Amino acid sequence: MFKTSSRPILALPPLALPNRIPLKNPGTKTVTFLILVFFAVLFALPLYVMIITSLKSMDEIRLGHIFALPSHPSLEAWDVAWNRAASGFTNTGLKSGFWNSVLILVPSLAMSVAISSICGYALAFWKVRVGNLLLSLLLVCAFIPFPIIMYPLIKITAFLGIYNTSFGVSVVHTILALPILTMIFRNFFSSIPADLIKAARIDGGRFLGTFFHVVLPLSPNIMIVVAIMQITGIWNDFLVGLTFGNVQGYPMTVNLNNITQTQTGVRVYNVYMAAALLTAIPPLVIYFLSGKLFIRGITAGALKG
Amino acid sequence: MIESQVRLSGQQTERPRFVHFFHKHAATLAVVPVLVMALLFYFGSALWSVVMSFTASKIFPDMTFVGFRQYRRLFNDDLWSLSLHNLAIFALGSLFSLVLGFLLAVLLDGDTPGAGFFRTIYLYPMAVSLIITGLVWQWLFNPTLGLQQFVRDLGLQDFNFNWVADKNRVMYAVILASVWQSTGFYMVLCSAGLRGVDSEVWQASRIDGIPKFRMYLEVIIPMMRFTFLTSFVLLSIGAVKAYDIIVAMTNGGPGGHSELPAYYIVDMYTNRRFIALGAAGSTILLLIVVAFLVALPLITLGLNRRKPRHV
Repeated sequence: MFKTSSRPILALPPLALPNRIPLKNPGTKTVTFLILVFFAVLFALPLYVMIITSLKSMDEIRLGHIFALPSHPSLEAWDVAWNRAASGFTNTGLKSGFWNSVLILVPSLAMSVAISSICGYALAFWKVRVGNLLLSLLLVCAFIPFPIIMYPLIKITAFLGIYNTSFGVSVVHTILALPILTMIFRNFFSSIPADLIKAARIDGGRFLGTFFHVVLPLSPNIMIVVAIMQITGIWNDFLVGLTFGNVQGYPMTVNLNNITQTQTGVRVYNVYMAAALLTAIPPLVIYFLSGKLFIRGITAGALKG
Repeated sequence: MIESQVRLSGQQTERPRFVHFFHKHAATLAVVPVLVMALLFYFGSALWSVVMSFTASKIFPDMTFVGFRQYRRLFNDDLWSLSLHNLAIFALGSLFSLVLGFLLAVLLDGDTPGAGFFRTIYLYPMAVSLIITGLVWQWLFNPTLGLQQFVRDLGLQDFNFNWVADKNRVMYAVILASVWQSTGFYMVLCSAGLRGVDSEVWQASRIDGIPKFRMYLEVIIPMMRFTFLTSFVLLSIGAVKAYDIIVAMTNGGPGGHSELPAYYIVDMYTNRRFIALGAAGSTILLLIVVAFLVALPLITLGLNRRKPRHV
């Protein structure tokens, strides 16, 4: 998945033709561009609707002009969504859910990256008897859908005394991430020149010493890719947080779902959309800032989630 | 290749004198947690589900062996049959993500101006939780305030877009939301596949004067068969795992017509509290996944044997 270069670079092109051949005439180009714009509008529309709806009052929403810009934009709905909406037992909005999500995210990120990177390093460079067997096992694990192992995991976490706690949610996230992360790290480390590791070992580098002083300094990119993948994945999770967390510790997505589903009576779409945007902001910010690294993260971790 | 070099050299130069026993232990110690996790939490849990599906367990585990009774009960449950039926529709409908993703990748290939901008727009839904996807599409499908009203206001008075409340169309609504969410991802996969096509292939086609359209159809698509195979696998696994979007959009409704197996199983474990039935459903789902895992190497082998057609 992480080859350093995809194709050998030709020293001399066989003919004096450009590599990528723009055969398109101006007409085709315009049509292509218009199709791309059309789909861009289609894909952007839900986000646009979310934003403008969150800025409207319910009276204005009831007029039924879903694409119209708000006549009196107001952040009232955002305030309600963050501070007062009925997100669980109490009417404290999303803000507690935000911190719960952070509380779930940090330990699971640390645990999953630590365990899987060291294991991937061991599998890539060190003679481990069950190494190849483990890699095949991990591939199978990555295919097993979560609902199949959900109930036994509830029993196991209950036995360990961490069921219904934020830490339990973190542990389950770690378990779910380990197969795919270990494979990613192992594949990446395998691309590090073996001579470096050899040299470190001849110089007396031990297992962890070589890992921290030789391997890690060569892997900032993969660490960022994995971190992006884990942060967005865990932030966007719903089912693990719902089944393994407790009511006070529900992550933001579960609170969001509670806000939109527990309120019988009037459905306040401006608050729902504001709440949805608040929940979406952290991963969206990461997405827009990280660009290509995000793409590498989701393609590498495609089997997850 | 690289690792075998390291291992070999380790054995030849260091092993007799320099390898400390601790080295070997350290590597093993690093692997053990993941191995235990895989065996206990994945394989153990899956095995537990299979065992439980043959017992009489209801709210609490009960080891009374009842043979295939729970499976008969499961397949007599209309909701479960409906969920399998919906799974097939959902998996087929998800193919649109791949078709559209491939088209967008083709349009973006080459020297299209603003390609980076377009990619960013097509891919952002992937960054957002499926709970949010479900919620925003539920809002767009709102019959009196959403898209339906918008089109009716334009003059098409009998336009019907109230799919979420329509038992025959609710799965199409779920598919639409899901395609919106995942098309960008398949576009990225296809873009990578297109970039993997050797530039000499394009140069040859240009010399021979073969139109681009025919090139894509007869040369590029067969060359990208592994990209498509990967996509099929991911689409199918995605359909088998689909849960969040149902919760946020329909809760399985109306009347179970958007029920999917994963939703059924979770509901059985957490709300209806019938362990053996949830375990039986899990086992069926597991069989579907295992069938995939067995078929996959065979298909890969078959595709490898087939030589790509040359121009």
